[in-house]
Amino acid sequence: MTVIEIHNLKKSYNPGKLAVNDVSLSIQKGESLGLVGESGCGKSTLAHCLLGVEKMDAGSIVYNEEPIAHANRKQLRNYRRNVQTVFQNPTASLNPKLKIRDSLLDPYLQFKDDLQLKHFHFTSKQDFVQQLLETVELPKGLADRYPHELSGGQKQRVTIARAISIEPKLIVLDEPTASLDVLSQGAILELLGSLQQTLGMSYLFISHDLAAVYQLCQRIAVMKDGELLDVFRKEEIYDSNRHDYTKELIDIF
Amino acid sequence: MILAIEDLTVSHGEKIIVDKVSLTIDKGEWFALVGQSGSGKTMLSQAVGQLLGPNLKASGRVMYEGDNVLEHPKEKMNQLRGKAISYIFQDYHGSFTPFLTIQQHMEEYLQTHSVQKAQRKEMIREALESVGLDASFAKRYSFQLSGGQLQRASIALALLLEPDILIADEATTALDSVSAHRILSLLQELQQKTGCAILFITHDWRHVVRYSDKIAVMKDGKIIESGTKQKLVHQPEHAYTKQLIQAAPTLPMRVMEVSKS
Repeated sequence: MTVIEIHNLKKSYNPGKLAVNDVSLSIQKGESLGLVGESGCGKSTLAHCLLGVEKMDAGSIVYNEEPIAHANRKQLRNYRRNVQTVFQNPTASLNPKLKIRDSLLDPYLQFKDDLQLKHFHFTSKQDFVQQLLETVELPKGLADRYPHELSGGQKQRVTIARAISIEPKLIVLDEPTASLDVLSQGAILELLGSLQQTLGMSYLFISHDLAAVYQLCQRIAVMKDGELLDVFRKEEIYDSNRHDYTKELIDIF
Repeated sequence: MILAIEDLTVSHGEKIIVDKVSLTIDKGEWFALVGQSGSGKTMLSQAVGQLLGPNLKASGRVMYEGDNVLEHPKEKMNQLRGKAISYIFQDYHGSFTPFLTIQQHMEEYLQTHSVQKAQRKEMIREALESVGLDASFAKRYSFQLSGGQLQRASIALALLLEPDILIADEATTALDSVSAHRILSLLQELQQKTGCAILFITHDWRHVVRYSDKIAVMKDGKIIESGTKQKLVHQPEHAYTKQLIQAAPTLPMRVMEVSKS
């Protein structure tokens, strides 16, 4: 089953230059798709269009067999609930004035009227927060702390817990490990892998690190200068018909 | 041996950040200092060039050409910095003044080390060319360059006077991995050409494996293990070193390569 389809997406910031040039991709249920490329290749722009942070110039995004451009308020709300995100910079993703508990509960409180959670069963909000912290392997005592009291790796775990709290269908991970220290990077990759096994959502994992993408994803897409050059299954990485640029990336790692 | 660090300690009041570290760097070698954020590797590298802030105190010895660099007066250190020991930093924007062109930065650098005006222009052109930037970049301001281009310009600047040792402090951490790889290959090529030693500070084990000759692993201000690349990569002894190796994701070996070995 397909969770999301992107058809012929185009986006330009400067006249005459396309940041994303005619890219089509689809993500299956429970799959993680890796999107790899250098800085400036358009991978984050693609994610921003998907999340609705940026408006695309042409193309369509299809969710639940409906193009989201034609979605009504209710469908759009449903889309926003089901497509969550984790960004590169966890400090900028958490409101410095909110305790960790309140940041974690924010999506739940937004959507609780139309939520039917399958994995999380709880008796109180307090209980829910504790479960979320436990799921991302953080000490329960962090609930009453503020973001500045946590390390970068801990903060990224909080943003992951917040993204999974309403059990979305897809999480867009935009360089979630890039600003972290090497040991935290490995730990976050492992956590993301095991969460996917228990909760079954799909990932769009955006990174310039081919090796990290290889570790987490089943399928890998390669972008350069706004164009999608290569899409392949993980096992096919060393196939001789890989694009020359993909081979260049493989050589680096 | 080009540089010997002996019992170097850096402290902030009562707090010890670098704890009696000793290491020697040979002529022309690529020495990698690996560790997590907060392990003290940057403080160690800054102590070498007397770049520490006034609230930090360095003791011990940093021996260069028979003298303890830490005891040099300001004027002598100014002469040494750039000519004998030079730096490339992680924050490439912070390495340049936004209201000077790349050429003006280089002019100032050469003037400080009293290079004749007649020679300067040619030296600047050659330096930029050596890092793959054409002459038109000389007239640009730092904010008109991309991250990779700026880091190339800082390498050109750092190698302008052919120093004996170049300290690269997380020089590619802020770049994406493709640009990082291009910068490091360039650095390797220039190192072979000029014969300068590199003290390479990083947390990315993959860069260490690819480029370095010798490795030291730093944790909580101490060197916990050091040796040749061969030894540390294939027979790491310390649990922390093993943990660092495991944390960096790598691609599996190609079937082809496995059968060869």
